[in-house]
Amino acid sequence: MRRSIPALATTAVLALALAACSSSDSPSDATSDSPAADAAEGTLTMWVDDTRIDSMRPVVEAFSEESGVEVELVQKATGDIGPDFVTQVPTGEGPDIIVSAHDGLGEWVNNGVVAPIELGDKADAFADSAVQAMAYDGQTYGVPISIENIALVRNNALLADTPATTFDELVEQAKGAGTDFSVLIQQGEESDPYHLYPLQTSFGAPVFEQSADGSYTDTLALGGEAGHAYAAYLAKLGADRTLDLSVDGDKAKQAFLDGQAPYIVTGPWNTSAFQEAGMDISVLPVPSAGGQPAQPFVGVQGVFISAKSENPVLANEFVVNYLTTEEAQDALYEAGGRLPALTASADKVDDAVLQGFNEAGATGAPMPAIPAMSSVWSFWGATEAQIVGGQAADPAGAWDAMVQNIQDAIDG
Amino acid sequence: MTDQSTAQEVVPDDPTGTRPPRRRAPRGTTSHARSFSPGFIAKLILIGTVDALGVYGILSAWAVSQWGILAFLVLALVVANWAYFSRRMLPAKYLVPGLLFLVVYQLFAMGYTGYVAFTNYGDGHNSTKADAITQIAAQNERRVEGSPSLPLAVVQSGDELGFAVVTEDGDTQVGTAEQPFEDVDATVESGRITEVPGWEVLGFAQVAADQEAITSLRVPFSDDPSDGSVRTQDGSTGYVFRSALEYDAAADTFTDTDTGTVYTPGEGGNFVSPDGERLTPGWRVGVGFDNFTAMVTDSRMAGPFAQIFVWTFAFAFLSVITTFALGLFLAITFNDPRVRGRKVYRSLLILPYAFPGFLSALVWRGMLNERFGLINEVLLGGASIPWLSDPWLAKAAIIGVNLWLGFPYMFLICTGALQSIPHDMTEAARIDGAGRWRIFRSLTLPLLMVSVAPLLISSFAFNFNNFSLIYMLTGGGPNFVGTPYVVGHTDILISMVYSVAFESGTKQYGVASALSIVIFLIVGVISYLGFRRTRTLEEI
Amino acid sequence: MARSTELHTAVRGRRWWSEIGWRHVVGVVMIAICLLPLLYVLSASLNPGGTLTGSNQLFRTISLENYTELGPRGYMNWAVNSLVVSSATAVGTVLMGAAAAYAFSRFRFRGRRSGLTTLLLVQMFPQMLAFVALFLLLLSLSEVFPAIGLNTQLGLICVYLGGALGVNTFLMYGFFNTVPREIDEAAKIDGASHAQIFWTIILRLVAPILAVVGLLSFISSYGEFIIAKVVLQRPERFTLALGLYNWASDERNARWGIFAAGAVLAAIPVVALFLFLQKYIVGGLTAGSVKG
Repeated sequence: MRRSIPALATTAVLALALAACSSSDSPSDATSDSPAADAAEGTLTMWVDDTRIDSMRPVVEAFSEESGVEVELVQKATGDIGPDFVTQVPTGEGPDIIVSAHDGLGEWVNNGVVAPIELGDKADAFADSAVQAMAYDGQTYGVPISIENIALVRNNALLADTPATTFDELVEQAKGAGTDFSVLIQQGEESDPYHLYPLQTSFGAPVFEQSADGSYTDTLALGGEAGHAYAAYLAKLGADRTLDLSVDGDKAKQAFLDGQAPYIVTGPWNTSAFQEAGMDISVLPVPSAGGQPAQPFVGVQGVFISAKSENPVLANEFVVNYLTTEEAQDALYEAGGRLPALTASADKVDDAVLQGFNEAGATGAPMPAIPAMSSVWSFWGATEAQIVGGQAADPAGAWDAMVQNIQDAIDG
Repeated sequence: MTDQSTAQEVVPDDPTGTRPPRRRAPRGTTSHARSFSPGFIAKLILIGTVDALGVYGILSAWAVSQWGILAFLVLALVVANWAYFSRRMLPAKYLVPGLLFLVVYQLFAMGYTGYVAFTNYGDGHNSTKADAITQIAAQNERRVEGSPSLPLAVVQSGDELGFAVVTEDGDTQVGTAEQPFEDVDATVESGRITEVPGWEVLGFAQVAADQEAITSLRVPFSDDPSDGSVRTQDGSTGYVFRSALEYDAAADTFTDTDTGTVYTPGEGGNFVSPDGERLTPGWRVGVGFDNFTAMVTDSRMAGPFAQIFVWTFAFAFLSVITTFALGLFLAITFNDPRVRGRKVYRSLLILPYAFPGFLSALVWRGMLNERFGLINEVLLGGASIPWLSDPWLAKAAIIGVNLWLGFPYMFLICTGALQSIPHDMTEAARIDGAGRWRIFRSLTLPLLMVSVAPLLISSFAFNFNNFSLIYMLTGGGPNFVGTPYVVGHTDILISMVYSVAFESGTKQYGVASALSIVIFLIVGVISYLGFRRTRTLEEI
Repeated sequence: MARSTELHTAVRGRRWWSEIGWRHVVGVVMIAICLLPLLYVLSASLNPGGTLTGSNQLFRTISLENYTELGPRGYMNWAVNSLVVSSATAVGTVLMGAAAAYAFSRFRFRGRRSGLTTLLLVQMFPQMLAFVALFLLLLSLSEVFPAIGLNTQLGLICVYLGGALGVNTFLMYGFFNTVPREIDEAAKIDGASHAQIFWTIILRLVAPILAVVGLLSFISSYGEFIIAKVVLQRPERFTLALGLYNWASDERNARWGIFAAGAVLAAIPVVALFLFLQKYIVGGLTAGSVKG
């Protein structure tokens, strides 16, 4: 099958099932320290992608030294880790551990390939959204290691401050900078619901309803009046060219790099390139467009254990007892530069840009990991593209058709 | 079979070696087996090596109970020895090596697809029933709310394993699978149990050596089963768990411990409650022709199907015609020995073929961008032509990019095939006064078609299934507005299958297999008919 | 060949344009079209922080930083792996394909026609699930013959050789048919065996198509990563295509510069191989012998 080729990755991001949920970690008072007094023998196989393998290496080596357990790092393509996990675990030949974004969790649980773990009171040491993202249907499945979300990035050379409190004001102010673009939000032929999500939530139209504990239900919430208002707003932004399907990820990044826009809505994966190019940038929350808080999706990188690992104790020792330590999370941050999920480590991060993302993500919503999410992405992007591009003459009608189609797909 | 053996297997059937006996042998009486020339000895050695490897394989397949491989190896060895030692099996001597690889690697994949088409393999039905039971039990073992996390040590006495824990009050207790926890007088050092009278406290290395038994050990918390039991995942911390669903092996059912609902295994490969609620994960079961009938009965697929069907043929046909025409034209253009520097021209012409296809598709997508693409912004001076968002232009763009990607292949083939056309023939025709076009139409093209026609059919079939190009360049878009599946104007059948089976909710390998088999039948029949027509060309 | 030099001197002026000159025009135009998209790749490879298609302003930064980063990331190792795997595949495909084409072309046996048809049809089977099937197959093979099981290059070569018969066989078959049978007959009368005819006579006569098939097979295995990623899992065993794919697979974090640099270097062996093989593909070796 010819999938997950980087161009496909655009779609792959959409095609992944997303996660969040409750976690009922009751308080407990016991201490949990490492039992690795004597060295054990064994080898764990861990799948990790190209961009994380280097930051994982020193951590793994430190663990091996301490416990005697070898961890073999196997490099996989980012988009392949989840799907291959699902196909290979049942054969017994899969990995013991994977590092992946949490949004495939629902699919793994439904396929029975991921093992539940028990964080105990260690859960309290992590950011709430990070722990929520590791949980599915009331059970915890992974240890969060880093958090990623999008935010508004400002080119300080063009505009020095941001008085705007609404997205409209922001666009107005940005136009004052006299550049080709005002606020860049990357699009593409299939639009980009992920990057538009802060705007959507500010109209009070989140994709799924959330229950009291923060977990998602599979009841769609993006329709109704709020959805119509957002659809109309998208059409307006498309008509005045604030949003342009021609501005894909590559174009948006390059335009911002070239100083052609004072603002861009993007994530930490691009800011390092901005900084390397010598730009002075600030990171802010996205202002609301519809009156309610603009919530970005929060993606959490987690470490998960295979349901058929032959070394469950060693895997738990490494994942639950070692990767949750401040020492390990610090090391991961130092080598990888991603915001740690462990609060104590995150607090030590002395980087204004990362802290900016951290603050913008504090109000964010975890990406849903429920399998129903995979039905949502393709319809969602296609419809937003038709609204922004102007093919959908009646935005509210197109939005309703989309909600209906998603509902049909979920119902199967 | 290893590759060395097969690659060289071709050699030994030169029974008489490179220096042939200069005698004329009546057909059929040359004894391949009895002329002990160097070639024959080489053949013996090679076949011997193959046989040795085969026997080794049979023995080790026996040892690991891989009966399928064992049976295949026996068969393959018999066939190989028979082909190379029999006097009559001339064609087989040439065909066996390639066929062996074909059978192992291609037919197996086909057979597997065929098998999957009749199962419900896909998300939620990923593995065996045993795996599903284990997983349902594991996922529904919930930590008792408000229960403490207990510092724990794994202890052993004789063959019996047990847990020693420090309770919330600071007491130490020991229990086993049969014996609920009761107080003992254990030694605790800095929060960890180091000694338990009557028990040996296991160190990490010992725990690691017996992981399976330790993670599956459940020690009842008290005499009352509803209090739950203690388990550990890391050998050092215990938690009190209770099963929300309990499996009864005798009845093969799951029972909800709170509501008492009983889940029984259903036909669809799930445990199902009386009111239809299903537990996940399920397991793989055969579903007969369901996957095939599903596509007929799915009214959601009816809408755009006809359009996609027609476009698939148009796309495959136009792709073959355009790439072949351009490739042949260029091959002829640079087949003239008088053109200086043609070696360089030729080498640069295959560059599109030498770069990764997905990289090229990405670049093309950027170049076709409506506002900022090179084609509109630079070449057309700021035009705003919606190359990828207008249905017809997107189709044209697909054909165009496929031409760019595909002509070097045809160019290479035509360049090679042109060499079989004797120069004298075209020269003679020229002297007879035939024009260039006439020579091409009446002489070059027909002769070329002899070797190239089957390739055109196969290229048609390849493009018929050219999922990656569509997926990378347009993703099938621009999408039809409001259709119940996300499919678009440039989707072809195989990308529609992908969209339906993998991107609309769960991944359904069973449905995808069934659909792809149907597509195979369609393209297979067309190709077969086309192939029969070219027969007339081929039999000179 | 003598004839062509003769003609060469004779052609001048307008006749030169109508017979030869236009070919240069075609060549230049086509090469421009071939190179245009690749300029983006080259430009990206020289720009450490840039994007692939974000700007039409090419070559504004020229830096070899991306190229120097290839080494520490194991690029050379992958290149060697790729050359080994693809060369072995090409040689194996040529030998097995030519043998099969010879059998189909020269022998008349039961099942010949249906065999040919089947070979063609087998290639058309959609390979959507092939990766799952191959994984299971190699997993079982690992237990019996670890040398050709999962995570071995030999195993990957074997999978590629599974496609040795097929389209390529047809190409050769068609070409073999154009070699007159009289040549075989004459050799047979001289006492040569079928094997001698194949190895010493036919294979030489069909050298152009062997070179074409070898090249096609080399290129396709050289650029293949979908099967490779199922078979090979350890980075030190990766082929070039697989390694490059891994770099580009993370849409957000992909470093296009390094990827592009890798792709540019990876194209060199292919072009070099073609340059080298051209003399066999269009050389004069066969010109005299193959006559109608």
